[in-house]
Amino acid sequence: MRILTITGLVLFFAPTTSIEAADDSRDLFESRIRPLLIKHCLACHGPKKQESGLRLDSRSGWVKGGDRGTSIVPGKARDSLLIKAVSHVDPSLKMPPAGKLSTTEIADLSKWVRLGAFDPRTPTAGASSPKGMSLEQAKRFWSLQPIVLPTAPKVSDPAWSSVPIDSFVRSRLKEHDLEPVTVADKRTLIRRATFDLTGLPPTPAEIDAFLDDDSPEAFKTVVERLLDSPAYGERWGRHWLDVARYADTAGDGADYPVREAYKYRDWVIAAFNRDMPFDQFVREQIAGDILARRNAMDDPDRYADQVSATGFLAIGKRYGYKASPDYQYLDFADVIDSVGRSLMGLSLGCARCHDHKYDPVSAADYYALYGILQSTKWAFPGGEEQKRPAHFPPMVPPQQVAVLEKARAAELARFDVRLSNLKRRRMKLDPDRQAGGVDLGFESQKSGQRPGTPWVCSGPIEITTEAQSPFHHVHPKGSLGVRIGSGKPTDGLRYVFKDGLQATPGQLMHFTVDFRSVAGSPEKGAFRFYLGRGVVQSLAVECSATATTFAIRNGKNWETIRPIVPGTWYTLRLTIDPAKKTYSGIVGTPNDLVTFQDKSVGRGWDGIVNCFICDAYGHINGPACSRDLDNIGLQDEPFVAPGSRTVAPKRPVPGAEKQKVAIAKEIESLTAQRQVRAAKPAYEVAYGVSEATPVNARIQLRGEPHRLGKETPRRFLEVLGGDRLPENVAGSGRLELAGWITRRTNPLTARVFVNRIWRWHFGQGLVSTPSDFGARGERPSHPQLLDWLAARFIASGWSVKSLHRSIMGSRTYQLGSHDDGRNLQIDPENRWHWRFARRPLDAESIRDAMLVLGGHLDRTVPQEHPFPPVHTWGFTIHHPFHAVYNSNHRSVYLMVQRNRRHPYLALFDAADPNQSVASRQPTTTPTQALYLMNSSFVHTQAAGFAKRLLSSHADAETRVRVAFELAHGRLPETSQLKAAVAFVTGYQKKLPENSADPERHLSAWSALMRVLLTSNAFLYVD
Amino acid sequence: MNLPDTTRREFLHRASGGFGSVALAGLWNDLQGAPLNPLVARQGHHLAKADRVIFLYSTGGVSHVDTFNHRPRLTVDHAKSVTASRWLNKTGQYKRYLIKPRWAFQQYGESGTWVSDLFPQLGSVIDDICVFNAMHCESDGHDKATLAAHTGSAQFARPSAGSWVSYGLGTQNQNLPSFMVLAPAAPYAGAQTWGSDFLPACHQGTQVVPGKNPLPNIRPRVARPELQKMELDLLARLNRTHRKARAADQALDARIRSFETAFGMQREAPEAFDLSGETEATLKLYGLERGATSGFGWQCLVARRLAERGVRFLELIDVGSNSNWDSHGNMADHARLARAIDRPIAGLLTDLKQRGMLERTLVVWTTEFGRTPFNTNANHAGREHHNFCFSSWMAGGGIRGGHVHGTSDEHGILTDQDAVHTHDFNATMLHLLGIDHERLTYRHAGRDFRLTDVHGEVIHDVIA
Repeated sequence: MRILTITGLVLFFAPTTSIEAADDSRDLFESRIRPLLIKHCLACHGPKKQESGLRLDSRSGWVKGGDRGTSIVPGKARDSLLIKAVSHVDPSLKMPPAGKLSTTEIADLSKWVRLGAFDPRTPTAGASSPKGMSLEQAKRFWSLQPIVLPTAPKVSDPAWSSVPIDSFVRSRLKEHDLEPVTVADKRTLIRRATFDLTGLPPTPAEIDAFLDDDSPEAFKTVVERLLDSPAYGERWGRHWLDVARYADTAGDGADYPVREAYKYRDWVIAAFNRDMPFDQFVREQIAGDILARRNAMDDPDRYADQVSATGFLAIGKRYGYKASPDYQYLDFADVIDSVGRSLMGLSLGCARCHDHKYDPVSAADYYALYGILQSTKWAFPGGEEQKRPAHFPPMVPPQQVAVLEKARAAELARFDVRLSNLKRRRMKLDPDRQAGGVDLGFESQKSGQRPGTPWVCSGPIEITTEAQSPFHHVHPKGSLGVRIGSGKPTDGLRYVFKDGLQATPGQLMHFTVDFRSVAGSPEKGAFRFYLGRGVVQSLAVECSATATTFAIRNGKNWETIRPIVPGTWYTLRLTIDPAKKTYSGIVGTPNDLVTFQDKSVGRGWDGIVNCFICDAYGHINGPACSRDLDNIGLQDEPFVAPGSRTVAPKRPVPGAEKQKVAIAKEIESLTAQRQVRAAKPAYEVAYGVSEATPVNARIQLRGEPHRLGKETPRRFLEVLGGDRLPENVAGSGRLELAGWITRRTNPLTARVFVNRIWRWHFGQGLVSTPSDFGARGERPSHPQLLDWLAARFIASGWSVKSLHRSIMGSRTYQLGSHDDGRNLQIDPENRWHWRFARRPLDAESIRDAMLVLGGHLDRTVPQEHPFPPVHTWGFTIHHPFHAVYNSNHRSVYLMVQRNRRHPYLALFDAADPNQSVASRQPTTTPTQALYLMNSSFVHTQAAGFAKRLLSSHADAETRVRVAFELAHGRLPETSQLKAAVAFVTGYQKKLPENSADPERHLSAWSALMRVLLTSNAFLYVD
Repeated sequence: MNLPDTTRREFLHRASGGFGSVALAGLWNDLQGAPLNPLVARQGHHLAKADRVIFLYSTGGVSHVDTFNHRPRLTVDHAKSVTASRWLNKTGQYKRYLIKPRWAFQQYGESGTWVSDLFPQLGSVIDDICVFNAMHCESDGHDKATLAAHTGSAQFARPSAGSWVSYGLGTQNQNLPSFMVLAPAAPYAGAQTWGSDFLPACHQGTQVVPGKNPLPNIRPRVARPELQKMELDLLARLNRTHRKARAADQALDARIRSFETAFGMQREAPEAFDLSGETEATLKLYGLERGATSGFGWQCLVARRLAERGVRFLELIDVGSNSNWDSHGNMADHARLARAIDRPIAGLLTDLKQRGMLERTLVVWTTEFGRTPFNTNANHAGREHHNFCFSSWMAGGGIRGGHVHGTSDEHGILTDQDAVHTHDFNATMLHLLGIDHERLTYRHAGRDFRLTDVHGEVIHDVIA
């Protein structure tokens, strides 16, 4: 057979004749090698690119080599990486990637190397790779300067000098020769502030209260009211969830649902609502589990919260199919990049493959953090190959885990006691169920045949009158027993008890069987009785007998109990105590009983007995003797002493059928209850992280997990101090990392966050790239203002609500959004804040405002998403999870799926949860307009809106006025009012005649509400 | 005007970063209007050979050695053993047995290009097609390879090729989305396959599910068109009043316009999906029953109608993430799948040609990877995933028809000459549309991203 080799061909090292003509190294290089390198190599290993750090455009390039070291050892082709690479001897290094060189080309290269690798080329100028920022340069870079509280500049305009924010803004306006517009009117202001802080429209009552409040504190009062509203956290929590790349599914190919994701979402919302200090907010998201353990004694209530907070790390897009490290480098890439961008405005992700080209972040920095993540245990959401979640951290302290597990076990055990009592009652009603089952005395079998249902048998075996036991203290006297002949060890008889016994507190288990070895059977081996769960799945008790001795197993050892005589019947009775894990028994004839006590049950027995086997795996090897069996029984009541009574043939109990039905019903309902309880975990778990074994990571060359470089100690970014973990630190280092990120000397965390807050208020950050404070990011428009905000933010104890108060209390925030021709010429983008920038409502605000006006908004916090139960999960990349759940709750609570976007949220530019989103990109598309015109949602809300008006106001003009105020925050102009009323009348006339009046009335008003809900006055905020 | 964060300057910077100052001066000298409609049609970097793309995607991994890569040695060496360096995603040394193709090959057309009996109809139009027989990609997992083929990244979420084209060139008909995906079911990796990711959402693919109502919300809910007209008239009136005090804000105009466009779409989109005006001859060309609203023939014919109406990028998903070309168990399944697309695709090419559209329409057919020419034993009925070598093709839009680009080894295991990576394939596609793949970039997360990452070479050999 011809063997075709795909890899590993080394034939090409043999000398060939193809290049004999090139008798000189220079000729060879110029005629063959130089063109070959240009054609196949230099595109990736030349002046333009240096894949793996390698250049082949000069001698010094290949001498220095790339990640794997020097490429060519002159004179030694076999030792030269270049030749190995082109020969495809190493599956991980095959060049060129686009396809193997021809045999001749490989031979040429080998020869060239063998001849000394003559290479006249010198390094070309301007060919060095782009140099990143050095640590020295970084120290002078604006965003890495320490934050110092700047003094507010003096401005002459008194309206702009009472609040420092305004002084900073006004002085920049002046520098650019801009005159700010006047402040917004009160209706504009309250609509702006209400949507801004809560994502909902102000009610007419709220508007009136503000209009009526003439005090200088009026706006402040509004802001305080809004900050106190739970809707505030739902709105600002959502902003953070964009940054945190929140989703309710894992994002792997099968997009597994994550039932616990919502706990992180709710934690974020609650944190904003109670104004958790931002440094603490960050610390808990990175190391909440560790903090929780530390404080478990002092503050057990917070334990669950803090563990949920680590969802921030876990909630990124997942790549793996199973809980294994195979794809972890990709999961970690997401985490490291998200942590860098969201908290510090640094693009750390670039350093996965190489030192950052622009920012002072090295691959060593990246893998130092990587080690911290590798020392962490990650909740696994489920995936194609392992379809069940794993490693979800408990939301209770470890000591409580044991307590709760015990409590749950006890609760389940209580169900079991009730169930076993019921089953026993049922059993007693059934004459056939005597002693634990049907036909344990073999009386319904046919003589001369092999035992049939419910028995399972193999080998020589027969039902026979000869095997009838003489005892009748357990089963009525019959005429049949079973004879098992000598055969293979596996041959024998098996019985599965339908209602087996389960370890139940306070109850013993009782078993009995009558047996004898058949006289004259010559075999010397032993037969055995097995008792336990399933076919030797969990052994409780084993007994064994040869023709002449009877033995039992005590733990590991066989113990001989008594001699037996072939042809004599014996009865065996066992009593198992599951609590003590021991058993006792008697064996013999009524006059000759031997007892044994306190023998150990099988190690690891799980407490269930539902199977009896008689085979030949006894205490003596070899073919077992023939034996007779009869009168088997299993029950949780003691059997009477042998010979103490004669059991009469069974008669049906009167009324038994009725009682049995009732009991069956009870058993069914109780079983269902038990299932529900059993499905519930003993304690709540979170989608987060916990501590694992601490380990340092090795650098992955070019980001490839199998090409490992040197080990990197876990530490912080060099440019921010490079602190190493203390020697002999016990944990992963996440707690230390959280500390490094939030310490006051780290200038990025506060700067980045206050800029985000500014961006969410104004639609534009002082730094217009909120997640990039590096060399490629934009410089701040108001650097001093940024630092003032950051310094004050830290000084306030990182209070986010104080920041809102400062910003919203400024004139800058309260400016109108009017046009100004001259300003528009100078600063069309409003970079210098000469006005307040008008903004479109975002996806959530549009939907929530429509739900409110339609009267359908459910303000409660919903329970978890109605995902299918976990035991049904079988999602694969071929059949991924997909669902859209309708609800009338606020949009922040909608189920956010990663791989298939929520149709509404995707249409209206909500954040794509596949990565951290700093700024949503609003778009205006006809498909959005189609949704506004024709979707059932908009029609439903408009109809609800119309119904509310029709029932609350009788007069058409009043209705129109109220509707305008509800939808747009202001009253209609007279002409609009007239047009609206005329519209309703006209519309109604054009409706089909066949519908009833009230219906046409409602249709017309609904149409008007649709117009109000889709007009620019609704969709934009001034 | 106010575009939060995406300021005009930034926008123009991106635009000019993408296209250079010529396009800027030519099309966007009206600064006020420039950024407000990101879908306005534009020229690329150089003269385009194609105006639009119809991207046909067969899901699951189509066997190259049973379709377009004719390897006679594979038949000769049937049942002989080879050593594979990878098997089921694990590297190592595996002894495997070659399996001959199930279908015979014939030469078609003047070019004499080999095509297997799976695609006789495609054979009849082979002189318009350029076959790529030395395709390769990194991943042999469905979702990763599907993402790589569409977004250039097997690992991380990135914008789809269609989104890049929409971002680069805008679209010719504002009454229809710029990027539409006709997909009965999602392929692997779901809607990420046509997601715009960090590009503005208006560039994401709009999924059309074959059936009676292919586009959501396209049907008016009100009883009569005149009623909807009344609503839109009042809406326009309110918006005009609102606009008076906000004259400089063109975002408001854009919103007003979007309703006008949507109104147009209500008419135009159903028209595009309404095949009742097509002749019997045309329906036959696509192998379509009259009245049918699904099947690949429907997808192809609707694609032609949408192409006629100026949609920039059309993607047609063949099957979806299950019951597809993933013939692990039995290659015979390829026959059923080929039958479902052979006539429709040939019909599409023929139809485009007879309407004079093929010249400016680039039709692309690809799949995530090929299938192993070998298996654990020679009698095995199936083939596994094979990303080292597979086949794709392009037609129309500046493509050199009747050409075969790239060769593999004699068994179709590894690429040999003129290997084409997914990045090269995408770079070539963009090139034909007039786009320099290295200059169509978008600044995100601290760096300039592009469809081809840092790779990709335009294959000039396949261009007519």
